[in-house]
Amino acid sequence: MAIDTFIFVLISGIVLGGLYALMAVGLSVVWTTLDVFNFAHGAFVALGAYVAWQISQSAPGPAGFALAAALSVAFMFAFGFCLHFGIIKPFERSPNIVLLAVITTLAASSIIENGIQLVWGPREKQIDPNIDMRVDFGGVAIAGIDLLSLAVALLALAGLAVFLRRSATGRAMRAAAQNREAAELMGFNVAFLFAIAFGIAAATAALAGVFIGSLRFINPSFGADPLMKSLIVVIFGGVAQFTSPIYAAFIIGIVEAFSIYFLGLYWAPAVLFALMIAVLMIKPEGLFGNRQKTL
Amino acid sequence: MTGELLQLSSLSGGYPPVSVFRNVDLTIGKGEAVGLFGPNGHGKTTLLKTVAGLIDPWDGEIRFDGRRLNAEGVMAARISKHLNYDLFRRRRIQARDVVRAGLIYVMQGNLLFPEMTVDEVLHIAPSASRGRSGVSEMQSLVRDLFPRLRERRHSKIRYLSGGERQMVSIAVGLLALPRLLILDEPTLGLSPKLRLELSEAIARIRDAQVPLLVVDQNVEFLTSLVDRLYLFDHGSITSEIDKAHMPSHDEIMTMLFGSAP
Repeated sequence: MAIDTFIFVLISGIVLGGLYALMAVGLSVVWTTLDVFNFAHGAFVALGAYVAWQISQSAPGPAGFALAAALSVAFMFAFGFCLHFGIIKPFERSPNIVLLAVITTLAASSIIENGIQLVWGPREKQIDPNIDMRVDFGGVAIAGIDLLSLAVALLALAGLAVFLRRSATGRAMRAAAQNREAAELMGFNVAFLFAIAFGIAAATAALAGVFIGSLRFINPSFGADPLMKSLIVVIFGGVAQFTSPIYAAFIIGIVEAFSIYFLGLYWAPAVLFALMIAVLMIKPEGLFGNRQKTL
Repeated sequence: MTGELLQLSSLSGGYPPVSVFRNVDLTIGKGEAVGLFGPNGHGKTTLLKTVAGLIDPWDGEIRFDGRRLNAEGVMAARISKHLNYDLFRRRRIQARDVVRAGLIYVMQGNLLFPEMTVDEVLHIAPSASRGRSGVSEMQSLVRDLFPRLRERRHSKIRYLSGGERQMVSIAVGLLALPRLLILDEPTLGLSPKLRLELSEAIARIRDAQVPLLVVDQNVEFLTSLVDRLYLFDHGSITSEIDKAHMPSHDEIMTMLFGSAP
């Protein structure tokens, strides 16, 4: 394997890892705070991509792309925030909330998917970021949009980390995630904090969706693949810390890129699932996890 | 009625369908320190959790500073075995309203937030008291009371000892600027030295004019601290004792369990 091919595959793996990190963090934020698994996460990715596509149709150029991304993220935050009150909050005091949330999030996923099909139709679309720049990197030309997506993903993750660790609302969110009763006794509006967590998850999913939509074609049900990848990442890395799914995402991204190169597109998922099963057997709490799950 | 801060009238509650306490009447006046003593497993913590708004009361009234904190009426029994009736049932008391009113409950054996540092927890603690004056005075009182927390400010809560964790819990309660502070077994499971340190701190909180409701198993500590003592047995208040007639440990045991043969 020539060195420039190696660099090319490695960089495309890292770019992929950035997008996976963005999606997996949203999933793990919901899992650690609300204690439920969000099966609608893939649909959030798809809806975010379609909203951005719609806006980019009437706003051309790189500035239009930035505007589309920003509006889509803002819209999805509000969407996730409201959705929490519809599909999670009513069941929060039920003893089998985990099972109920599986059903409600699956239902939401199906409704969103079919809603997209109803509004935008089943034909494949692509967001045009209008960035034709290429960057030469050790003899390998990397598309500007790849680098942009990596940079934006890293920036968003860093911003989220700062929000969770430094801001009063972020700290209150972590407090509510770690001990709900104690947080209530401190006077926090736990339902509101949980809704923000759901909104953040939807917003990060939308950001990932925007970039996926500009790298490949999107159709109403394309969210299934990102959902599966973020599931693998979360299981692979564990959710002990905010950072553990992020490391895991980059490993998974790089492994996927190399298995696509060596084994082909159709065998890559098998490699990832084998990796996931191996981790589940050897270290069930995830590679970077411990028994405790916290935000 | 003006002197009363907290007033519970014929309050009943529990974990449906199990009734834990019945017809509890209890009053705490402004500036008073009141103790609650009773055997383990008889519902003291359930009563206090109800007052704090974590559990819905079944019947009766919780008044704080003249304002009713729980919803009117009796909690309806579950109407159907087949429908998820809980889905439509509204909470009868909200912990947030209770905290906003200034009634702060420090949980028994509070684990707080294991993965947050002491500094982070103390930073978000005053959120309930936002906009009220006196936060900085309270912060200096907390610094005075628990110098140890300053040393450990960068440690995560899970690495603290039981005593230090209790100190953080009480500090969090104080930073919410309580108009009544409820301490649920603050010295439970501590070493004698730490127990003494914490008892002294609680006495200083009383001296700082913070009204207190304290539950503890140590009669000597409780009788020296409080103005009035309620005895709690089998889910209801059995007697009320004022300062002049504070009993000794043996007398209380006789009151609760009958005389030794």
